Formats: sequence, structure tokens, C-alpha cells
Amino acid sequence: MINLIIDNKNITVPRGTDIFLAAKNNGIYIPGLCYHPKLSQYGGCRLCMVEVTERGRTRHKFSCAQPVSEGMQVKTKTPEIIKYTKSVMEYLLAHHPLDCPTCDKSGECGLQDITHDLKLSKGRFKTVRMNKPMRRDNPLLEFNANRCILCGRCVKLCKDVEGVGAIDFQNRGINTIIGTAFDKPLDCSFCGGCLSVCPTGSWQDRTFKFRARHWELKKTTSICPYCAVGCTIETNTKDNTVLKITSNDARGMNEGNLCIKGRFGHDFVHSDKRIKTPLIKKNGVLSPVSWDDAIGYVAKRFREIKNVYGGKAIGGIGSEKCTNEDNYVFQKFCRMVLETNNIDNLSNMKSPLLNTLIHKSIVHGFTSTTSLKKIEKADTLFFVGADVTEAHPVIGTLARKAIRLNKADLIIANLRNVRFDSIAKNDIRLIHKLGTQAPLINALIKTIIDEKLVDLKRVEKATDGLRELKSLLKTFTIKKASQITGVSEETIRKASALVAKPGNCYIVCGKDIEEDPSGPDTIKALMNLCALINTASSLKTDAGKISLVFSRLNNNSQGANDMGVVPDFFPGYLDIDDQSNRKRFEKSWDTKLSDTIRKGTAFNLIDLALKKKLKAMFVMGENPIVNFPNGKTVKEAFRQLEFIVVQDTFLTETAQLADVVFPTATFAEKEGTYTNMAMEVQRLNIAIPPVCNARQDWQILCDIAKKMGVTLFYESSKEILDEIENTVPIFSGIYYERLIRQSFNWVTAHKLKSRKYKFEILNPKSVTVKKKRDYPFLLLTGPSLHHLGSFSRNSNSLVSVASECFVEVNRKDAQQMNIHDGDEVLIESIQDSMKLKAKVTKKLPENMIFIPEDYEWVHVNVLRDNVYTKVKLSKA
Amino acid sequence: MDANNLNVIVGEGTCGIAAGSKEVIEAFQKYAPEIKIRTVGCVGMCHQEVITEINDNNGNRYIYGRVTKKNVPQIIKFHQGEGDRLNDNLIYSPEEQDTDKWKYLAHQTRIALRNVGFLDPTSISEYEQRDGYKAIRKILREMTPEQVIEEIKVSSIRGRGGAGFPTHIKWSFARKSEGDSKYLICNGDEGDPGAFMDRSLLEGDPHNVIEGMLIAAYAIGASRGYAYVRAEYPLAVKNFGKAIRDAHERGVLGDNIQGSNFSFDIKIKEGAGAFVCGEETALIASIEGERGMPRFKPPFPAVKGLFGKPTIINNVETLANLPWIINNGGAAYAAYGTEDSKGTKVFALAGAIKKGGLVEVPMGTKIRDVLEDIGGGSSSGKPFKAVQLGGPSGGCIPESLFDTTIEYAAINATGAIMGSGGMIVMDETTCMVDLAKYFLSFTQLESCGKCTFCRIGTLRMRELLTRICDGEAEMSDLDALDELTEQIKKSSLCGLGQTAPNPVATTLRYFRSEYEAHIKERRCPAAVCKKLITHTIIPADCTACSLCEMQCPVDAITGEKKVKGSYIINQAKCINCGMCFEVCNSKAILVK
Repeated sequence: MINLIIDNKNITVPRGTDIFLAAKNNGIYIPGLCYHPKLSQYGGCRLCMVEVTERGRTRHKFSCAQPVSEGMQVKTKTPEIIKYTKSVMEYLLAHHPLDCPTCDKSGECGLQDITHDLKLSKGRFKTVRMNKPMRRDNPLLEFNANRCILCGRCVKLCKDVEGVGAIDFQNRGINTIIGTAFDKPLDCSFCGGCLSVCPTGSWQDRTFKFRARHWELKKTTSICPYCAVGCTIETNTKDNTVLKITSNDARGMNEGNLCIKGRFGHDFVHSDKRIKTPLIKKNGVLSPVSWDDAIGYVAKRFREIKNVYGGKAIGGIGSEKCTNEDNYVFQKFCRMVLETNNIDNLSNMKSPLLNTLIHKSIVHGFTSTTSLKKIEKADTLFFVGADVTEAHPVIGTLARKAIRLNKADLIIANLRNVRFDSIAKNDIRLIHKLGTQAPLINALIKTIIDEKLVDLKRVEKATDGLRELKSLLKTFTIKKASQITGVSEETIRKASALVAKPGNCYIVCGKDIEEDPSGPDTIKALMNLCALINTASSLKTDAGKISLVFSRLNNNSQGANDMGVVPDFFPGYLDIDDQSNRKRFEKSWDTKLSDTIRKGTAFNLIDLALKKKLKAMFVMGENPIVNFPNGKTVKEAFRQLEFIVVQDTFLTETAQLADVVFPTATFAEKEGTYTNMAMEVQRLNIAIPPVCNARQDWQILCDIAKKMGVTLFYESSKEILDEIENTVPIFSGIYYERLIRQSFNWVTAHKLKSRKYKFEILNPKSVTVKKKRDYPFLLLTGPSLHHLGSFSRNSNSLVSVASECFVEVNRKDAQQMNIHDGDEVLIESIQDSMKLKAKVTKKLPENMIFIPEDYEWVHVNVLRDNVYTKVKLSKA
Repeated sequence: MDANNLNVIVGEGTCGIAAGSKEVIEAFQKYAPEIKIRTVGCVGMCHQEVITEINDNNGNRYIYGRVTKKNVPQIIKFHQGEGDRLNDNLIYSPEEQDTDKWKYLAHQTRIALRNVGFLDPTSISEYEQRDGYKAIRKILREMTPEQVIEEIKVSSIRGRGGAGFPTHIKWSFARKSEGDSKYLICNGDEGDPGAFMDRSLLEGDPHNVIEGMLIAAYAIGASRGYAYVRAEYPLAVKNFGKAIRDAHERGVLGDNIQGSNFSFDIKIKEGAGAFVCGEETALIASIEGERGMPRFKPPFPAVKGLFGKPTIINNVETLANLPWIINNGGAAYAAYGTEDSKGTKVFALAGAIKKGGLVEVPMGTKIRDVLEDIGGGSSSGKPFKAVQLGGPSGGCIPESLFDTTIEYAAINATGAIMGSGGMIVMDETTCMVDLAKYFLSFTQLESCGKCTFCRIGTLRMRELLTRICDGEAEMSDLDALDELTEQIKKSSLCGLGQTAPNPVATTLRYFRSEYEAHIKERRCPAAVCKKLITHTIIPADCTACSLCEMQCPVDAITGEKKVKGSYIINQAKCINCGMCFEVCNSKAILVK
């Protein structure tokens, strides 16, 4: 620590801090426009001059680029310094258009604030209007170079934080300007980071322009409703209308960084396509009815079905997008009121073993990341089957921070050469053959054991089964592994060394692993890898640990499972067949649960419906018709049902099949909690009252229950969370009020019992995919940066940037078939066919095509069957 | 005499080529195909190009200047024993060794330039014949890096790039910096208008620079080097590139040089034409592939430079001195110069001077001696007014201070800087306000745009200067100029900004009356500023030849041919372009 004096105040700060930050953190204001704590120093604006006395010499220095030193004396407000600072402002203002009346930044503008602060009213220089052209080449962002003071923040953010580097300085002298290469239209990820760091109104949100003054906006802290990262956002509203989403650098693990969905995808809240009233199907047409009629009708039909076929004839699909409270009430409603245990959520239906595997990983301490923010402290990053850039962009941002500041190494194992822009010194890509992810992980384990990269004696002491694992891998040489996986021996060795090196390693296990038939084997192999390294290190500190982070798709995929919207578990992963668990809930719910509430068959809800075991289906906030593989079968299954109820914000494909549809509130109108993929429970807040007659999901459930004669009575989300806290052990200690300040992580909040790890002994076999002669291509699907579910589909902003789904085709394949970028191609599988525009790429292996699955209006799932889908391709 | 025995040497630097050396060589080949022709770099007498040297079989040297292809037959004939000597063009002959022209070279002390103009830059063996690569061989055999630094310390050489930081101190920082790899960069991004020291060295004696780089790299422990050369110097890039390849073949560059543990390799990085890239940190950014923008210091490049590694950046001229220092000893070098500044300094002499070109003189020489003795005085015959030292970053030294000796402290005391060695001479016809405006416009346009003071402050200064030149200024504007000067100097991030106001500061200091004449009397004493001057015809001198009338672009001159006194200039139409003054044969145009 360094002691210094700033403006007669004694200050102690860590070594290496610059004077600017030392002053700021101690309440001493120094003006500055190019400084940003998130970015590396630039030293361009020259506003932050201070007078520094050290070793008997007094000099003027620029505080943002001057590290503190012991005994330094700093003065920030001498007449000389004020003179200089005023001069800089005079220079800047002489060129600034001073169009504050029409500038959206007015009121929160750094230039305005400093001008005001220095009491500058008249400049000595003649004002010069620059008349540089506006950059208005995309639907979302606009750049006004005349307002730009060239602080360079946007340039650095785009390059360092986002890894994109779409903009840079151009020209020289007074003609210097921020622009794109060759003045082409802005082509970036549209994260809007430039907007968030610009101290003036140069970068503007085109979707917000002229809609409100800064001081009219109410900011409500909330959580982003899209992916499973769970970024903290600020919902800006005026007159009960959501106008824009901003972020606060000081709140949330995202440090003010968002992706295009988070920042611009909010306009679905006020979409005119929202369902405005409850609907009942009359003569095949969904017609508006009153809430009472709809609820009465649903209660009546459910009672009838229950009476005739029993409760288990009703299926329930919970929501990965609704809050924990909604999901908790949903499973309670199904189990207690409808008396059915045929409930599930789509993520569990897609990968049924994942919950158990994650639980095992938690118990053995492999998944104990307190927050995703920890990733920025990583020394090694290992993305397995995860397309972070597309699926979880902000994890990419955190990873890049680790690479930039911590010099972290990067390993990406994937079938496709997924895009990840970074400056990592060691950037290793393990591009493996189809179905060989498990052998690949085993190859890493084998290398670590063979080359004794960890202390094996320690491992042997702390675990069971290392000897068996060794003998199993005896014949599995690196050479063989290299042949099987298609990854060179040298690369395998290099990656193993990086994973095993001291320091924190974070493994992000992606959807490609989790939803693959070989997923469980791969995850078990990953756990073996974790055990090998973690037990070898002392484990006393967090350093030197390897942690597994499991990808989840939606904002609350994790929460839906935590809340027990699965057939095997009560909330909190309590075994449903365990009598003590059953009693716990019976006591809490003050009821006697029906005998049908126990583990059922191995069939999922779709299978049950197809087998006509289900008569009715209750779907909360999901669109399985489009979002579940084998779309044709799903549709068929729904056709078998007598009665379908759907709660949703939009009239999705599933809602269109429903007999009754309830309109529900969106994130802006809701309160409650979401749980992200690192098990962080975060709270969202109501920004606006419900739009067009919508209600919160749990309210609708309570209303139906009441009509069915069972009282589920809650005043607010808080009461539901209190009940969860009381009843579910892993959530004990979660308090609604405390969540305002801090998230709650149920893994680290409770020391879950850790047993001695026993290595999983699995043959490192690859999955063979049978070839079909008529269908030579394999269809891969995956996430998309621009879209996720029915929200993004109804956001004009997102659709304006990504309006058309596409199919990626390998360059060689494309050459052979004479397919060019933008050509329409016909994709046929046994199930169905569709036409899409082609995108020729090098990222894909040959004989494979890739279609993003989140352009919801393009039903990719109808092409897919349950496992690997073979397709054929032709030019349309 | 037989032409076969003649040895012809033609200067083929960029200046030589521009003056027509290719044609001269062709002519020699045409008239005497059997003759041996060698080409060498620029000897520094740019005003005499194309320079041609004839060595006859008696071992006599004859040097001719301003040779054109038309002169070639006469030269050949004379040396074959027929015809007359080309006396007008003769610079040196065995008979006349002390010609006025020859003084130019004779009065110099050439260390950095010792080979330039005497050897074929594309031939490594010629360099070796002149003690080339002797220094590096000696070092590798018998000296430790510390001893090399010590020898350089004895020589007291200071960085020739401009700031004059002692080379051995800079080196010892990098020597002490920890790091698995270090870099040495040769800074050849010579951007000052009118300066061409680096170009001549790189073109005319590339091996000398390479050897200098080897010595520096050995001293600091660098294994990789970059030569940052302006892309506008194609011949330098070409010759230097060939020299690197030849040095590789000769085993003086590459891995385990001369069987030692020392390995060093050089890559050429061509600059893209930004003045600011001559600044250390901007140059580093440019090599890294970033936009050439300066970064703040600390950390200094010697600690954390190129790609985050310790890096030393030395100027071409500094490096060119090193082999000589090692061969002759630091003390021999220190014998030249003054207490404050040792050794010699190369200057590029340009402007209103009779003999422009490259000169190398010992430190401590008076400016006047350089201009009069070597430069031969004013080209126009009018008295000198001032000299701009150090390019756009430097300052003006008035004629009254021409007795200042050339050494760092004395030059700095005048407000100018030694700089990289640009010496632009001005006579009475130069307006000092206009000159300040010219240099300031240069830096203003070349600012990278990073810091506010440099980007906007210099523009403000230029606007004020424009107002003064246009006769629209007020006396308070001079105070504003003073204040801007002080602020920009103090608050800019890099050397470009910090020195940008120097031309204004020094002209304000020495020629304030000229500024005041512009403001108070709306008059330009040198009759340069267009808005403050008038062109009139002196009827008594006018011969009514009508030349001015024909040349005037705006038809402002009217009169009747051969009618004396009929010509007048319509002041409402006249744009003061000066065309009439240029064409008038009888000096009848008065500019006031």
C-alpha cells in the first residue's frame, strides 16, 4: 500500500493505482473525459492535470497516467491547474456543436458537467462548426462526429472489451475522426458498449432518439430476460413505457457490459403483437373473453378431466423464462391442485440427466463458482462445446478481461471452429471430429496422468478408482486419441499442460455437450478431469482450482429446474419418492399429496401425449412446438390432446393450438427472481404496470386454483420466496430484501456434503453416426447472438439487424455444389424440408451444415429427429 | 590515353538520380562502352549533382559537378588526351585542390558520413575494405556488453535524433531491464521538411548503420531489430534491404554471428508517412500494427516497449557513429566537440544558401562558419536573416546570434533545438510570421489528434497567425499566442505537441517587431503576406515590354506596348500573386 496526500487528505491506496483513481475513490473530484475505470488509460483529453510534489520537486502531471508513489503530495485545485483545465474545455467547446437542446445525452453529459463545474460561460475563441457527416448506416447506432471529443473510449471498448474492433481513429490533426475501416457501414456485434462509455452525445441509440429527456427517465434495476448469464440492466421508463435499457458499471457481474439482445431487444414489451386479453377457442377461433370467464372455464375443464381420467392425465410444462416464483407456484399448482406429477421443463426434457450430473459436480466441489464474475480472474479458460460468442456474449466479455488483464490462456474444444475474438497468447482450438468429445477429454486426462502434470500421489489419497482409471486408459495412447479425435498430439499435449497449470481454470460446458447423446459421458469425463486437478492441489484457497460451469439456455433455465418443475424432484432437488421430502412439502403446503405424485415412467411429456396417456396440457411461457427437437412429433402430440392451456405474452405456435390463452406480463412488469447458470439468484423489479391487461404468471395460477377450490394465496413474489426459503433447504437464507444489494448463490451459501470422489470408469469411445446415402449432410443447430425465443422475434430492433435465418455451408461443399453466399438452398430431411439463404463459411467441417435455431419463426426443429439429423442439400 | 583505364564514379543518391545521373551513366556507356563505372551514394554536395569522379591510370582524381549528358563526350575526350578540360564544372583536380567548391567537403569532419559518397552502397566488400564490420568482430572477440557501454560512455555521444539524451544511459536502462527478449529499433522515420541525413546514410552506407545496430544490440542484449524507414525513401529501403541480405550471407547478421553466442536479425518496417511516427512510442505502436499514436510514459520503452518488451530506439545517425567509435576508441570521438557536446553532427543545409547539402561538422563550430565557410553564403546575395534549426519542432535563430556554437546547451538557450539536423536558412525576403505559420501548419496537420492541446490548440494558433498575416489581428492576439505556446508546450503528451509551438515562440522572441508591424501598421516588412502587400509598376524603370500583362492571371495589368509609362496595375483586381515580379526583366515591379 502507498500513502500519499491529495488536497491535504491522507490517503492509502494499493501500489500501481493512478492518482486519478486514488482521488476518485476518496471523494476528491478531478475532471476527466477519456478516463474510464473499465478501460486502459489513454491520456488524451488532458483535463486531469494535477500538481505533484515528490522528492522535493513540484511538477504538473496528468493524474490518469501517473501512478502514486510513497509520500507524494498532490494538489488538484491550484489556480494554475484551473486555468489549464478551463483552457482544455474552451478548446473543446469551440468545436462542439452545443446542440444540447436536441441531444439525448443532455443531462448526463460529461462535457456539460465539467463546463458547469468550471463555471465556464464565455470562451475566447471563435466557435467553429465542423459539419462532419453523420454516420447513420445501421438501424441501431448513430454516430455524430461533430459532438465527438476523441476521448477514444469507444475505440478501446470495442477492441479490448468486446474483441470486435469495428471502429478506430482515422485521419490526422483536427480532421481526426472515429470511423470504420474503408468507411464501410458499421458491422459489429451491436453490443452498444460505445453508447455506454461515450461521455458526450456522439454515439446515439437510434431506437431511443428524441423520445425522452434524461431527467424524465425512471431507472429500474432489473435482470436481462434473455440468456442464462443474467446481466444486470437498468430499465429506463417514461410514462409507463420502456424506452431504453442501460447498464450500471457498478452493479452486477456484467460490469455494465451487455449484448445486443440485452441492450436493444426490449421493444417487445410494447409490441402490438402482444396478447391483449384472455382468449378462448370458439369454433376453432381464439376469441377475447374476460379474465373471469377464462379462469372459470379452465377451472371447470381441469376439474372434469381430473374427475374422468385422474390428475395424471394433465401434463404441465413450466417455463425457463418465467421467474423462480412463477415456477415454484406452477409445480405446486400441478402437484397439489391438479394432482399430477407429469410436469417438466424443456431443458430437462432435452437433457434429462443433466440435473443429476450438475448435482454431483456441486457435491464434489467442481461447480462452486460464486459468480460468473469470477471468470475474469481465470488463468485458463476452457470452452467445451460452447459457442460463447453467440450464446452467452457477456461470458465472452468476462473471458476477454481475464485474457487482457490476467494473461489467461484460452482453449476451445468444438466441432465447429466457433468465433471467439481475443488476444490470448495461447489460443488453442481443439477442433475435433463428430462424436469424439468424450475421447478428447479422456485424452487430456491421459496426458496429465502420463506426463505427471499433477501430483498423482495426492490424487490417489483423496479419491477412489484412480488405478482403475489408469488401467482403463492404458491402451488409450495419445496417438490413438489423436487419430480418433482428429486433434494433433502436440495440441492435445499443449492443452493438457494449460489445463493442469497452477491457477484458476474455468471450464464452460456448452449446449453441444449437454444436448448430445454422449453428453453424460463427456460430463463425467470432465468431472474426472476436475477431480484429477483439484485433489492434487491443496484446495485450501480458491487459487489452483478448476471449476465447471454448465451452460443454460434461458434467463431462468436453471431456476425452473431448481424449483422442481421436473418429474423427479421436489424443489431443491429433493427426491420425490423420499417420504421425508414428501412430508416436508405436505406440511408446508398444508395438504395431503396424491399418491400419483411419485416418479413415473421414463417417457417425457411429448411421448406420453403421443401414447394418449395425457388428455390435457398446461404450458406456462414456453413454445415447445418450435423449441423442441422433432417438431413434427411435438405437433402431433399436441393434436392428441383434448384440452390445452397456454400462458404467454405472444400468440406463439403453441398458443395458437390452445383452447385457452392467458396474457402474461413481461420482465418489465414483473418482480421476482431469476437464477443464472452459475446458480446466482438475482432479483428483478417492476418498472411499469402490466401492459394491456396482462397478469403475472403466478397470479393466474392462484386464480385458477381458487376457482378449483384450493386456496393458493400470495400477496406478492416476496411471500412466495419466503415460502421457498422456509421449505427448500438449499434456499434457506435467501431474503428478498437482501437480493436488492447482492445476489444469492445457493451452491456457495450452503456447504453441500462432499464425499470422496470416485472416478467414473468409462470407456473413451466415440459415438458413431451412421451414414445415410440419400442424406449426406449432418444438420447442426445452435445459438444465435441476435435471437432467443419469442421475445427477440417480436423486437423490431433485433429483427432489423438480423431479419433472416440462414444456413451455413462449408466452403468446399459449397464449391462443389456451386452454392454462393446468399443463394437460396433447399434442405431436406426425412421429416421435412425448408429453404434458407446460404452463408458460406470455413468454420464448419465438411459434410455438415449449421442452422441457428433461435430464429423462432423458422421452425428448424421440424427438420430434426431426436438424435443426429441427416439432411440433403440442393440449390433451390 | 586509353579510356579503358579510366575509372568513373557517379553519385547516385536520390539527389543524384533527380539531377539526371541515370542519363549521365547512359551517356558514358554510349560513348565509351568499355569504361568502368561505379555508383556511390550522395557525397553531400547536393547543389553540385550530378557529381562525377574520374580516376585516370596515373592515379589522379578529377571531380566534376553539375554534369549533364551533354558534358560526357567532352570529359571522355579530355581524359583520353584530346580537347579542353571542362573547367566550369571542375570541383577538384590534382592541380587545383583548393577550389571554392572543394571547400565544402574539405572544411567538414566526417565520421558518420565517412563512407557516404565513397563506396558503392550495394557492395558489402567495398564496405569491408573501408574497415567495415571490423568493430563488431572486435566486440565479439574481446568486449563484454558492459565494456561496449563503457566505451560509448567515454565517447559521450548523445542521441542524434533530436532530444540529445546520452546514449550510454539509455542503453544501460535497457541492459538492466529484465526480459527474455529485447528489441533494438533504428529510427529512420525522418519527417522534418528539408532534412535528409538519415536518407543519405541508409542509401549511401547501409552497412555502417547495420553495424551500428549490431553494436547497440550487443550492448543491450537485443536479439531482434527493426529498421523503421519511411516508405517515401524507396532507394533507402532497397539498398538497406540488400545490405541485410548480404550481411546474412557474410555471417555478420543472423544466428550465432561469427561463431559467438550473439544472434541478431533485422526487419525493415516501412513507415506510412506520418510525421508523428518518428516519436518513440508512436513508432512502436506503428510497428505493432496499431495506428501510430504516442502512448504516455512511464513506462518508458527501455523498460516496456515494443510488444511489451524492453526496447531501445536509436536514430540512424547515432548508429552510424558507433562503428567508428569502437574502431578508434571513445576518447578519439570525444576529442571532437566541446565540454557539453562531443563528436560531430550532421546537418542538412537548405534554403537561401549557395551550397546546399549534407555537412558534418564538429560540435562547437559556429553557425556562421557553417553557413559562410561551407555553405558559401546567401544564395541571393541578400543578407541572412535567420536559420531554422530542428525542423518544425525547432526554432529560429536570428542572424545576430549566428556566433552561437553548435552544441546542445547553447542551441537550447536560444529557444531552438538541435533536432535531427535540419538547417533551413532564410534571407531578408522571408517573412517570419509566414514562416512560423508554415511550420505550425505542418505540425497541426501532422498531429495524431490524440490530445486536445495539440489537436485543437495548434489549430487555434494557426488561426491567430493567419489573422496576423491577413492584417486582421490585434495586439491582444500576441498575448493569446504566448499563452497558447506555454500551454501546448507544457500539456501535450508527446514531443510533437510539446515542440509544435517552438517556431512561433522563437520568432515572437526575436522578431516581435515584425509581428507588430503586421498588426499595428498592417504591413509585411518582408513583403510576403499577400493581403498586406501591393504590386506597383515603377514607370521610370518599365520598358513597356508587355510581359507582365501577358502573364497576369487576372488581367489586372493594362497598358500599351512600347509606350513607356503606360502600364499600370489595377489594385482592385490584383491578387498579389507575384507573377509580374517574377517575369519582369527590368525590375520595374515594386512590392511593398
